Amino acid sequence: MARITLERIVKRYGKNVALDGLDLDIQDNEFFVLFGPAGAGKTTLLKTIAGVEFPQEGLIKIGDEIVNHVEPMYRNVSMVFENYALYPHLNVYDNIASPMRSKLYRQDEATIHQQVERVTKMMKIDHLWERRPSQLSNGQRQRVAIGRCLVRSPNVFLMDEPLAHLDAKLRHFMRGELKEMQSSFNSTTIYVTHDYMEAMSLADRIAVLNYGKIEQLGTSLEMYYTPCNEFVARLFGEPEINIFPGEVEEENGCLGVRALGQQELMPIEEDAAQVLREKEVRQVDVGIRGNDISFSFTPREGSMAGTVYANEPIGNKVVMTVDIHGTHLSLVAPNDTQARIDQPVYIRLNMKNAIFFDGQTQEYITRSQAQSHICSKGMPISERG
Amino acid sequence: MSQQTQLLDSSQNRKTMLILEDFGRNLGLTFYALFALFPLVWMVICSLKADAEMYNTVFVFTPTLDNYKAVLLGTDYFKAFFQNLVVSGGAVLLTVVAGVPAAYALARYDFKKKEDVAFQILSFKFAPEIMVILPVFLIFQKIGLYDTYFGLIWVYQLITMPLLIWVVRGYFEDISVEVEQAAQLDGYRWFDVFFKTLVPLIKPGLVASGLLAFIFAWNSFTFPLVLSGFNIQTITITSLRYIASDTVHYGQVAVAALIAVLPEITARLFIQKHLVRGLSFGAVKG
Repeated sequence: MARITLERIVKRYGKNVALDGLDLDIQDNEFFVLFGPAGAGKTTLLKTIAGVEFPQEGLIKIGDEIVNHVEPMYRNVSMVFENYALYPHLNVYDNIASPMRSKLYRQDEATIHQQVERVTKMMKIDHLWERRPSQLSNGQRQRVAIGRCLVRSPNVFLMDEPLAHLDAKLRHFMRGELKEMQSSFNSTTIYVTHDYMEAMSLADRIAVLNYGKIEQLGTSLEMYYTPCNEFVARLFGEPEINIFPGEVEEENGCLGVRALGQQELMPIEEDAAQVLREKEVRQVDVGIRGNDISFSFTPREGSMAGTVYANEPIGNKVVMTVDIHGTHLSLVAPNDTQARIDQPVYIRLNMKNAIFFDGQTQEYITRSQAQSHICSKGMPISERG
Repeated sequence: MSQQTQLLDSSQNRKTMLILEDFGRNLGLTFYALFALFPLVWMVICSLKADAEMYNTVFVFTPTLDNYKAVLLGTDYFKAFFQNLVVSGGAVLLTVVAGVPAAYALARYDFKKKEDVAFQILSFKFAPEIMVILPVFLIFQKIGLYDTYFGLIWVYQLITMPLLIWVVRGYFEDISVEVEQAAQLDGYRWFDVFFKTLVPLIKPGLVASGLLAFIFAWNSFTFPLVLSGFNIQTITITSLRYIASDTVHYGQVAVAALIAVLPEITARLFIQKHLVRGLSFGAVKG
């Protein structure tokens, strides 16, 4: 039940800057995901909000109250730590009961029992009450840590990679459970992850963090369809987005991209071409996702010739990497695709879905907005220039 | 059929092997126990011998309690015993009260020259006592700490504190900071976090190094020899008194020594289970 505002937060460890003048406004009841590579400052940001780390500069507000000098215990936040941080000398039951036995949040033993039962059932660890943390597997420890966090109802839940060590099936289940709980619990959640699927499926909004700064802030679809630069584009999606350099040229009054050593220009959609013309960009990086590349083993009109570099079946799909004049493009193929290494293959790019980045700054320039899947959902992608 | 007997045979063999192994191990340990306990046994024997029989008998002699009478009733042995207890107990108490926070600070906080400070503390243990004893003696004379309880307790910190700080520091370092932070977020004040979460986790190390500190203090000889006089006499100094200028009353020395090791042995037996675990660093597991 709290809105969280961070203003120009700076946190240094010695000479290393962990958070570099960060501004963030997290709405009440929002499920907010912090996403980014290792060392981006995600955990530091969580700990700063929790009050166990202190920023050198900036203001932290929880529900409009400045909490820079409020002790962690009085901030009424609940956190799942990445390394679990369970109490080694207590068993599972006492670990989970711990928040309800402190002076501040004390409950009577009957309530404690009921609550511990509730969360352990949900986490499927109700048969492990008597175990010490050292007698648990990592996945079980993680569930105890989540249980200890969920057992009370704080203003804010802070979760630092809470599902990272669970097996795939349980992770999937827990993802749904967390989302469900969030909506019924009425409290703000800040969630750190480096799994883009987790980020996209859970988040109301995502902030992509890198070097202690926010690269982009927005919804999952904005991240996926209009990433603000190549870094963000590469973070979302599997296989990773293909980005290759090209030159914008004009031919018969139409703009196209010359790239990948091809004779023909790759067409650019009219609305995107308009933006490129206005900005007079010549060097672009073209980003195209694996499912926007079609392939065949026989030449077709407008296709590019290449060779199969790798062919990896991953269950419900096959990721094929194609070598075109030394550039590798990954594409998504149906799961029964068979291919030999170095076999010739012909691919066609769906340039309607191409994303154009500035060749020098690697910043987002434009993409065609003709695609129905964005507009039909009414995502405000035109706000970005 | 023959295969079955073979199987039975082999399992029979294995059983015999196991029994032999057990037997061998116990035999070896028995020999070691005899070897390790022999000095104590020898001391008990000596304490029961009269001075006249000291040199010309080994195991066969007329036992007498004269030595015990002479030491326990004839001298102020109990006073020394008690004073030693006060000094050593006080020293350990001060070591724990001051050493645990110091260890926590060294483990958790980053400050300039931290490692130098830590090493300096450890180096107190390296320095021979005899090296610092003269200046300490002169200083104690000046500031009136000579021959006082507090003076001895204070100077004993040189031998009791370093080990405790280093062992307990290792324990604190093994506890992840997040455990403390989690406890704070659970709604505990730092004071509660310390006593409810940290103390149980460092307990094995604390108990083990506390006991060793007690033994160091109890056995200390040089400091009380120089820094105490008539008021305070520790047991190590008192035991010397039975070595007279003309004769050595070995029987009485044996009695004094035998009673002097009693507290150490009792304490050790009580906390045996902590002792080994406590000193093997890194016993905390998450």
